[in-house]
Amino acid sequence: MRKNKSTPTINAAIIIPAYNEGSAVRETVDAIPSKFTRIVCVNDGSSDDTLEQLQKTRAEIISHPINLGQGAALQTGIEYALTNPNIKYLVTYDADGQHRIEDVKSMLKYIQANKVDIVLGSRFLGKTENMPWVKGVILKLAVWFSNITTGVKLTDTHNGLRVMNRHAAERMQLKMPDFAHASEIIDRIAEEKLSYAEVPVTIVYTDYSRAKGQSMINSINIVFDVLLGKVVKK
Amino acid sequence: MILIQIILIALLVGVFARLMSGRGSSRTNAYKKVALVLFVVAAIVAVLFPSLLTILAHALGVGRGADLLLYGLTVVVIFQLLNGYIKDKEQQQRFVRLARKVAIIEATEKYQRK
Repeated sequence: MRKNKSTPTINAAIIIPAYNEGSAVRETVDAIPSKFTRIVCVNDGSSDDTLEQLQKTRAEIISHPINLGQGAALQTGIEYALTNPNIKYLVTYDADGQHRIEDVKSMLKYIQANKVDIVLGSRFLGKTENMPWVKGVILKLAVWFSNITTGVKLTDTHNGLRVMNRHAAERMQLKMPDFAHASEIIDRIAEEKLSYAEVPVTIVYTDYSRAKGQSMINSINIVFDVLLGKVVKK
Repeated sequence: MILIQIILIALLVGVFARLMSGRGSSRTNAYKKVALVLFVVAAIVAVLFPSLLTILAHALGVGRGADLLLYGLTVVVIFQLLNGYIKDKEQQQRFVRLARKVAIIEATEKYQRK
């Protein structure tokens, strides 16, 4: 906190993938304080007014010509942010307003103080507001599944809020275009032996984010994608 | 020669001619063509002398030649499905990389010329 006051800007890029988030993305970007000078929004071929809404904000916009999926959008944002050598940390942040900027600050403080490669937000260490119970059960199952398949021990595997240094960002190379990227990031932590930590964060479940969030049935698809991905790799 | 043998051999020769005419100079292509020749010869022999297939089936512990054919076909279909899945994923990756490049070039022009 004190450090932030002495340095007026923060050398981190906030990467926000957005696909058809027109009704929320502007509010999400505008809620980020100006000392976060770099906001990179990846408009993932949205068919609604996401692009128009983004143009009213101060975010830098990268537009996929076609929809490629959230994982692909994150990778695009990461590659773009890395082209600026002044960026020391990359933050992944959801467009629907479910994350709090206070958590980003505490995660940045943590990564600077503890010199880990990547810090992951955990709602199960922190708090959730209005989380549907079915979602809670499925997320816990996902955590269990991930911990036994990757060996990376976490309490929350599907949290969109992450802070990583350049080393981790350069090694991400996300290939799973859709929502399986959360598992892929954890795979990468294991493969590349990145040092990691979890920091408690609060996820705010609004009606909007609940309606927008990936459908629970899709988690079955993800399990199959992840398993098949492991089978056919190389 | 019975009618079905004439039809099958005609079809095999047709497929063979079609596939052989494909251009492509890489080494894998050459191997594929050799394999194709062997396959077509074996197929024609099997069509002309179905009893050979049955003898082969017995040698492998399978009751009938037709059963052996079915097993072989099953393996080929599964292989093709998996091959298709992998090819599809590779194709998707190339696609994603292309679109990403376009998006990043566009954004770089927009923001870094200021």
